[in-house]
Amino acid sequence: MSSRRPTRIVGRPFTRVDGAAKVTGQTKFADDLALPRMLHCKLLRAKVAHARILAIDVSKALAAPGVVAVATGRDLPVPFGILPVSQDEHALCPDRVRYVGDPVAAIAATSEDAAFDALDLVRVEYEPLPPVGTIEEGLAPAAVPIHDHGDQGNIHKLVAMQFGDVDEGFARADRVYDNTYFYEGNTHLALEQHASVADFGPDGKLTLWSSTQTPHYVHRALAKVLGMPASRIRVIATPNGGGFGGKSDVFNHEIVVAHLSRVTGRPVKICLTREEVFYCHRGRHPTLMRVRTGVKKDGAITALHFQTALDGGGYGSYGVASTYYTGALQTVTYRVPTYRFEGARVFTNKPPCGPKRGHGTPQPRFALEAELDRIACDLGLDPAAIRREHLQPANSLTANYLRVGSMGLGACIDKVVAASGWKKRRGKLPFGRGLGIACSSYLTGAGLPIYWNQMPQSGVQLKVDRGGGVTVFCGSTEIGQGSDTILAAIVAEILGIDPLDIRLVTGDTDLTPVDLGSYSSRVTLMTGNAAIQAAERARELIAGAVAKKLELPPERIGFAEGRVFDVENPEKGMTFPEAAVAGESLHGTLGTVGHYRPPPSAGRYRGAGVGPSPAYSYSAAVVEVEVDPETGIYAVPKIWIAHDVGKCINAALVMGQVEGSVYMGLGEAMMEEMAYRTDANRNVVHKFPSVLEYKSPTTLEMPEVETFLVEDPDPNGPYGAKEVGQGPLLPIPPAVANAVYDAVGVRVDEVPVTPEKVRRALKAKAQGKPARVGPERFPAVPYPEPIHVRTPEEGGDGKAEDAPVTAAGGVR
Amino acid sequence: MYSESFEYFRPKTLAEASALLKKHRGARVLAGGHSLLPAMKFRLATPKALVDIGAIKGLSGIAAKGKAIGIGATTVHAEVAASKLLQRSCPLLPETAAQIGDVQVRNRGTIGGSIAHADPAADYPTALVALGATVVVRGPRGERKIPAEDFFVDLFTTALKPGEIVTAVLVPVSGKGTGAAYLKHPHPASRYAVAAAAAVVDVANGVCSRASLVIGGVSATPVRVLKAQDALVGKKPDAASIGAAAAQVEALVPDPMGDVYASGEFRVHLASVLAKRALAAAFERAKKG
Repeated sequence: MSSRRPTRIVGRPFTRVDGAAKVTGQTKFADDLALPRMLHCKLLRAKVAHARILAIDVSKALAAPGVVAVATGRDLPVPFGILPVSQDEHALCPDRVRYVGDPVAAIAATSEDAAFDALDLVRVEYEPLPPVGTIEEGLAPAAVPIHDHGDQGNIHKLVAMQFGDVDEGFARADRVYDNTYFYEGNTHLALEQHASVADFGPDGKLTLWSSTQTPHYVHRALAKVLGMPASRIRVIATPNGGGFGGKSDVFNHEIVVAHLSRVTGRPVKICLTREEVFYCHRGRHPTLMRVRTGVKKDGAITALHFQTALDGGGYGSYGVASTYYTGALQTVTYRVPTYRFEGARVFTNKPPCGPKRGHGTPQPRFALEAELDRIACDLGLDPAAIRREHLQPANSLTANYLRVGSMGLGACIDKVVAASGWKKRRGKLPFGRGLGIACSSYLTGAGLPIYWNQMPQSGVQLKVDRGGGVTVFCGSTEIGQGSDTILAAIVAEILGIDPLDIRLVTGDTDLTPVDLGSYSSRVTLMTGNAAIQAAERARELIAGAVAKKLELPPERIGFAEGRVFDVENPEKGMTFPEAAVAGESLHGTLGTVGHYRPPPSAGRYRGAGVGPSPAYSYSAAVVEVEVDPETGIYAVPKIWIAHDVGKCINAALVMGQVEGSVYMGLGEAMMEEMAYRTDANRNVVHKFPSVLEYKSPTTLEMPEVETFLVEDPDPNGPYGAKEVGQGPLLPIPPAVANAVYDAVGVRVDEVPVTPEKVRRALKAKAQGKPARVGPERFPAVPYPEPIHVRTPEEGGDGKAEDAPVTAAGGVR
Repeated sequence: MYSESFEYFRPKTLAEASALLKKHRGARVLAGGHSLLPAMKFRLATPKALVDIGAIKGLSGIAAKGKAIGIGATTVHAEVAASKLLQRSCPLLPETAAQIGDVQVRNRGTIGGSIAHADPAADYPTALVALGATVVVRGPRGERKIPAEDFFVDLFTTALKPGEIVTAVLVPVSGKGTGAAYLKHPHPASRYAVAAAAAVVDVANGVCSRASLVIGGVSATPVRVLKAQDALVGKKPDAASIGAAAAQVEALVPDPMGDVYASGEFRVHLASVLAKRALAAAFERAKKG
C-alpha cells in the first residue's frame, strides 16, 4: 500500500545518514575502538602450506615482556564454519595447518608490539604433508586428503543436475560450440583490514565489536565454539570499511579475541595486517569452465551444458554454495530451454576462497558472455541483437525453476547500444580499437538462509517516543553500501519526517531483531520490506489517533514534511511530535515490528536452494578498448552501463554502487589475481600478499563511465527496488574480452585479460595458429550421474525424477 | 607489518653521517624512505640504525656546474621533473622523473635514494646510464666520481663502499642536435618499470652521430645496447635503421627477469618496442632541437 502513494524521499538522491561522519573521518571503525585495560592480540600463522602439528611450545612466549596470555588450538577444540555442511575450521589449528597463513597460536599482550615480538618465541614442530596447489592436483587421488569430509579425496563437492532433455536440445541445434574458459582468483581488497574487540564483562557476558558483514552468524558461531549460551553473547557489527563478501564468514580471529578476553578478564583487540587479510581471503574461486552450447542459426539456444571446476583453497567456507552458484544463474538472462550443469570444488593448500561480489557467478557469466560473442560472430549476427532477441521473458519460470519477475534487460541493452554508437562503430573502428558488449543478472537476496529455519530473514522494530523521535532497530549491517540510509529513507517516507531525524540502531545482536547480514544483495529488499511493514503499522496507529482528534476518517490523514494533516485541507493538522503524543495518549507506548520472509522457491530438487531470489537485477555494458597491437597493452577509455534496479530508493547510492561495481569488475578483467608459487620446500605460498604488488586499478585506470538506470519495478521489492551492489560487476570482464576481440581479432578466454595474454594471442594469430589464449582442455572430473528435472515447459513440477527425462515427457 | 626496532640519527653534516655509518655496522642511509621503509616493514631489511641525511645542508637542489648540471642527492623527483634548467638543458631527466611512482612518491623520493637503492625496476638508473651521467659520492676517504654505468653493479647493489654516501648526480648539458626520450610500461600496482628504454641521440646534417640506447626493468642493472650504436651511427635515422637498432634488444638479455605480471620473454619484447619508440622520439626531438 505504501508504494501506491506518491513518494517524497524515495527515488531522490538524498544525503547519506552517515555521510557527514564518513567524510570528516569520524566514523568509528572497529580499529578505532579502545577500552580501558585493553590487550592486543597477534596470531602466529603457519609458514608451511600443509603439515601436521606435532608440538607447540609457548612457554618462552608466555614469559616474554608484556605477554598476558597465549592460546593454541587445544584451548578452542570446537570446529565451526559458515555453512552447516562445512564445519571444518578451528579458531586455532589443533593438529593440522592447511595453508600458509593458517593460525596456530595467539598472543595477548599489553601492546601490539609486545604481542608481535612474542610470536617469534612460539616453537611449532611440523611434519610436512604434500601440498596441493592446483585444481588438477586437487582432482588427483590424494594420499593424505586435506580434509576428511568432502565427496572424494580432495574433491570437496560434486554437483550434477540436468533440466529437460538436453540431448534432444543438442540434436535440434544447427551448431554446437564447445569451449573452455578460466577465471583467475582475486580478492576483495577492502580498504579496512578486519578488526575486532572482545570484552568479557564481570557479569559473565561477552561483547564483540567486529568489522563483519554477518553479526548474526558470528553470534551463532561464538556460542558454539565458546560453549556459551547465545543469550550471553552480544555481537556488534561496526561500520565496515568495505566488505564485498570478504567479511561475511566467521573468522578465527573473532573467536580468538573472545576467548582471550574470557581467560584474561580484559578487553582484547586485534587488527589484521594487510598481509593477514590476504590470508583470510574468501575471495573469488579460480574456476575452470567448459561450455557446450547448442544454437539455432538465429542464435536461439537449444541446449546448454556447463561444467565448472573450482579451486576452493584450504577450507569449506561458502564453497558448497559457491559451487552451485557457478551453475545457477545462466538461465535468467537468455532463454535456455534445456540445461545441464556439473560443478566440482576441490580443496587446495591455499587461503580459502569464498564469496566475493557476485559470489560464484562472475566466472560462469564471463564464460557465457564470451561464448555468446563467439557464437554471434560465427553466425554473422550482431552480438547485441543475439542477446536482445532471446531474452528470458518477464514473469516466467526458467528451466531450473528460478522465478523471473520484472526483467529490464532489453531496455538495458537498448540504452548502452544507443549511447555507445554500437551499430555504427562495432566492427568498424580502426584496427586496435573495439567495442564489446555483455549482460548479466544477479539475485536480490538469496531465497534461503544459510542455516535451515522458517523464521524471517529480516526484522525491524520501530519506536516512536513522545518527543516525536523515531528509532529504527534492525540487524542489518552498514558496509558502506548505504543500508542505514535506505532504512531511514523508507521509514521517513512513510512517517513524513526527515531521514536525518531518525535514529538508527543496526547490526547489534542484543538490541536489534535479526537480519541475516549484508550479503547476497539482500538488504534493501529484505530490510526494506520489513521496514515498510513496521513503519506502516506505526503510521496506522498515529493516523488513527490524529484522525480521532481531527474528527476525520483515518484515510484522510497524510504524513509529510514533519506534519500529520488532513490531505484535503493540509493546513488542518499538527506537527509529527504532536501526532506522536496523540498516538501514545490513545494507544500507550508506541512500538511496532515488521519482518520479511522471501517467497518459497519453485524448485524442489536437491540443490534448488541456490539461485532462487525474490527478484533479479539486470545489467548490460559496452566497453571500449584501445589496444596497442605491438605490445598487447590496452586502455579502456569508456564504459557504458545500464542497470535495471527495479526502482531507485536513492539514485545517488544506486549510481555509486553501479560505478563501484564497474571499477571492481574492471580490476578483475584487467589485472587482479591471487598468484601463488611453490617454494623450495614445496610450499604453496602467496606471491605477494601486499598492495605493493597486488594490482588493482586506481583513478588513473578508471575510465569515464556513463551510467543508465532502468526502472522496471518488481512487485517483490520495496517500492519495486531490486539489487544493485553486485550485478553491475558481472558484465565488465566479458565485455572487456569481447572488446579486445573487436579491436584486434583475438580471443582471451581467461580473466584477467593481461597485456601479455593479448600479445601472445596476437603472436599466435600472426603465426597462423588459433588466435586465442586460454585453457587448452578441461580436466577429467568424476561428476556423478546428474539428477533429472523436467522443465516447466515439459510439464515438470520442480522435483527430480528417477530417470532421465525426454522432451516427449517419457523417461529414457 | 612492523619493522624491527632500530636507532635513528639525524646528523647535520656529511662527516657526521659518515662517522655514524662507520660506527653502526649495518646502518642504512635514510633519505625519502620510499624504498627503505617498505622493505623494513616487510622485514626484508632489518638495519639496526638509520642515518637520516635530510637535515644535511647543501645536499638538495639543482644547479649548473660548467658543462654539467648537478643534482643534489636529496632532491626529490618532483623538483627534478619541474626544473626549468633541466627541462632546457637535459630534458631526459625531468621526463624520467615525471614518470616515477605517483605524486606522493615524487614528492618524497630522492634521486640519491633511488640510485643508491638500485632497484632493477627503478627509472633513474636507465636514464642516467643513457645520459652518461656521473655519480658523486663522499665517504671516509673523501669524494669519488663514478660513471653511472659503473655505479650499478647488480640487483640492489652499487659501487658504494662502506661509509660512502651519494651526494650528487652530474648530468651533461645536451647540445644542439641532441634528442632524448624515456619510455616505460609501469607495473599497475607499484608503477615501477616493467620495462623501460632511454635513448639519447645526436644528429648532424641529417645523419646520426651518436646513439645511446639503454633498457631497464628486464635485468639486474640497466643494459646498454651497444650494437644500436653500430646500427645507427653514420646512417640516416629512419624506420629501417631504428628498427635494426631496436632489434638488437631481443638478443641482448639471455636470462630476463619475469614475474606473474610479465614473463621475461614479454619484458624483453616490451623493451624492444619501447626502444624503437624511444629512438624514434629522440630523433624527432633532435630534429627540432
